[in-house]
Amino acid sequence: MTLSRHIATAVAFSAALLTAGVASAAPEVGKAAPGFTGTDTAGKTWSLAELKGKPVILEWTNHDCPYVVKHYESGNMQALQREATEAGYVWLSVISSAPGKQGHVSGEQAEELTETRNAAPTAVLLDGEGSIGKAYGARTTPHMFVIDQDGTLAYMGGIDDKATTKLADVEGSENYVRLAMADLASGQPVANAVTRPYGCSVKY
Amino acid sequence: MRRHLARTGAASVRPGHFGVDDMRCSRPLLSGQVVHYLLIVALALLLCTPPVLDAASGAVDAGAVTAVGAPPTNADPPIDAPAFDQAATSEVVYTDNVRARLIAEQPTLAPGGSVEVALVLDIRPHWHTYWRNPGDSGEPPRILWSLPDGLDAGPIRWSVPDPIPVGPLVNYGYSDRAVHLVRLALDPGWPMGEPVAVAAEATWLVCEEACIPEQGSFMLILQTGGGTAAASVANATGATAALFETARSALPSPGVVAGNLSRRADALELRVPAAALPEAPSDLYFFADEWGLVNHAAAQGWSREGQDLLLRLEPGEAVAAVAASGLLRATTADGPVAVRVDATGTVPVSEGTVLAADAGVDAAEDANLGLPLALLFALLGGLVLNLMPCVFPVLAIKALGLASQGGLRLRHRLLHGLAYTGGVLAFFLGLGVLLLGLRAAGAAVGWGFQLQSPLFVLLMAYLFVVLGLSLAGAVTIGAGLMGVGQGMGHGPSGAGPSGAQPDGHLGAFFTGGLAALVAAPCTAPFMGAALSYAMTVAWPIALAILMALGLGMALPLLLLMLWPRLARALPRSGPWMETLKQGLAFPMFATAAWLFWVLTVQTGATGLAAGLAGALALAFGLWLREHMRLARSPWPRLGAGSALVGLVAALWLGVGVLPPPATGQQAASSASAAQRADDAALAGEPYSADALASARAEGRPVFVNMTAAWCITCLVNERVALSRPAVARTFREQDVLYLKGDWTNRDAAITDYLAGFGRNGVPIYVYYPTMGPPKVLPQILTEALVIEGIGAG
Repeated sequence: MTLSRHIATAVAFSAALLTAGVASAAPEVGKAAPGFTGTDTAGKTWSLAELKGKPVILEWTNHDCPYVVKHYESGNMQALQREATEAGYVWLSVISSAPGKQGHVSGEQAEELTETRNAAPTAVLLDGEGSIGKAYGARTTPHMFVIDQDGTLAYMGGIDDKATTKLADVEGSENYVRLAMADLASGQPVANAVTRPYGCSVKY
Repeated sequence: MRRHLARTGAASVRPGHFGVDDMRCSRPLLSGQVVHYLLIVALALLLCTPPVLDAASGAVDAGAVTAVGAPPTNADPPIDAPAFDQAATSEVVYTDNVRARLIAEQPTLAPGGSVEVALVLDIRPHWHTYWRNPGDSGEPPRILWSLPDGLDAGPIRWSVPDPIPVGPLVNYGYSDRAVHLVRLALDPGWPMGEPVAVAAEATWLVCEEACIPEQGSFMLILQTGGGTAAASVANATGATAALFETARSALPSPGVVAGNLSRRADALELRVPAAALPEAPSDLYFFADEWGLVNHAAAQGWSREGQDLLLRLEPGEAVAAVAASGLLRATTADGPVAVRVDATGTVPVSEGTVLAADAGVDAAEDANLGLPLALLFALLGGLVLNLMPCVFPVLAIKALGLASQGGLRLRHRLLHGLAYTGGVLAFFLGLGVLLLGLRAAGAAVGWGFQLQSPLFVLLMAYLFVVLGLSLAGAVTIGAGLMGVGQGMGHGPSGAGPSGAQPDGHLGAFFTGGLAALVAAPCTAPFMGAALSYAMTVAWPIALAILMALGLGMALPLLLLMLWPRLARALPRSGPWMETLKQGLAFPMFATAAWLFWVLTVQTGATGLAAGLAGALALAFGLWLREHMRLARSPWPRLGAGSALVGLVAALWLGVGVLPPPATGQQAASSASAAQRADDAALAGEPYSADALASARAEGRPVFVNMTAAWCITCLVNERVALSRPAVARTFREQDVLYLKGDWTNRDAAITDYLAGFGRNGVPIYVYYPTMGPPKVLPQILTEALVIEGIGAG
């Protein structure tokens, strides 16, 4: 047993030497969130670097997607936006639909959507060329990312655990973004840091 | 939607009453163990009710969804469809993008029988619906059944999907027509003649680029009747029959192929035996069962490497947290063929390393052991084999022979030692060639495969009975196998009637081979890694490893031969030798008793009765022969004849009466005898891939124990660690599901599981925490190691 322990330790050690960290372009929880610069509906420029010191939430959206509709019709998304911004988060809704594709809107239309839906994001970024979406690997609407105040990606994935279009499923679902904010507020690592994003595809 | 999960509840505890404190495999307390085995046999006979196994397969999301919202719009039918049998088809539901209906294969159903129904979605051109893992976006269809009591719906049987690119993303789903097969089973007590109402609400998401959630309500009335009525109607409805035939041909092939998934830098490598798929596929594509395992949108490269197909995949976002399983689709000239692939065993290299360092024990799990290390492990494994209880009796004979020739010269001893070494090596060489041959043939063989054959077990039991009788002095076998074993010591008696007295060196050679033969099933801690390595590398390396294993095994005796001081320290021969020889009969009988117990586990009471009757006939024949010989009977041939008759009777009982080993489902229930005996303290459930997958899906931690009745290491681990009250308490507190697989008889599911960990022998102990990769525990367990291993230490 003792001998096997020694050998095992030796093997583990040598294997550890061989296993070096691998750099990857894809966003990874616990690492610096991919940097971006984007323009909002009013023409204002936002960059992640400038937001350092503030926690940030990114929400990929497409107002015609039934999964997005579920969260806005139920008031779920708006409530979450208010909760986050009141807690000091910068909430950026990102529209990555390409021109001519479903969900692509002008700045004016986007502002109208915010008003008619009583939404409360800090800003809505127009990402028609999809550069922010591709940097984050955003796949669905909604697809949520939570970045802590140091610029580290803390959460990525679905908004909750009910991957349906049913309004009734909002109640009783486990909202992963809310849980991530609670974990960050208490200084703990996010328990469910990566979940399956669900929804319509992002219309790049 | 009803689910049939035969689960016997949380682990129940019964205090271990065997009172063995620390009996590791390396301590040759054979007779002590046999007492326990006999107790186990008694328990096994008491608890012989087989558990009900869950026959349902595949985790399917057809759960709680109710259809609400606007009624479907009656748009134009998207595409034409043939006319189906009206009596077995629901009203057509027209939505904007789909024409949906529920169709039964037959309109008539017999009580106690089943019928296949299909939710058929005819989809607008260029639109698609989804597989159970929809890929980057989307949602699989769900069916919520409303069925009368007595009618049960199985899970959706998903046909093989297509990858559907949507911009830079990829979905898994179906175009044109999606057919979702579900089996409905009717209770035998259903009154004949009373119709069965089948109602279902289905929801599905259909997308081109935009996505529309749609739903429909379906109702079917099936008549009940005998089988002939159903058959005559089925014959009359060609379109329906063709639909179901086509749908079934689009399902993945039955069975599961064990794959191996490993992480190399930034890529995932999936290795699957090429023999599991059609020859020379023109393309391969892997569909992961769950989101997070692979990047769905990444290109998949593949190549053939030796006996394997190697796929290069890009890891997904939760590669360590989700089950490594999916479908592998091969495109061939005759169309696509898909197989289920399960590589759940694999720990990604990085995580495995961390775990091994943490636990400080099990780096030998790493399938990428370097060659020098593998050889060292093999050598050490061989050394440990000498301490195995099942090889000890043979070594005892060897030591006895050695003691009687203390005066031999060095050169003579050297030759004997080398002959013994040669015997061991020859056995391992033979085994290696066999193993490699079988590997080449694509057969999944485990290390203990000799003892998985009941006939082999029986013959070994006979051999040990005869060896025991001979040592005890009841019969004299001059040049039988005993003589071979004793040949080096010039035999305890004179030349036998067969006249084939081997010379000492030949005897040593055969003793070596015999020792290796009986030691092989006792997979020592080091052997797992060395052997799994051997099975995955080119044949010269594989043979080198087996040779190192053999060398390790032969080394102690060789050193004893070469070291004059050790040899001189051995006592001179004297009357004590006869006493010792007789005493050594008992380890022989103990081994025979153990082998009979293995036989019972494999074949049940009938097999045991046949085996014991055979042993009786053999013993009687040999005794008669001995008696005739000593009494100087006028008919000496009668004695030899009676021995021969005994032998023939024993063999006839072995070959003719011995029931075949149970297979498949039967194997699981017959093996349960052994399981139940061992489960006195900690109740385990029989291992199945489904049970493991569904517990993991629920987030319940799982402990998997792969064992076999003939694996002494396994049994000792169960006695000294797993059956301890503290372990049972910890399992209960942490709500750990204890799954136990019995490999006493060959079982493809367990062989696959072992292969998933790069192993081909038991024991293996794997703990699956709620989150994170599985953790492999060492092959020699202690109470503390288990508790620490499941994170409660």
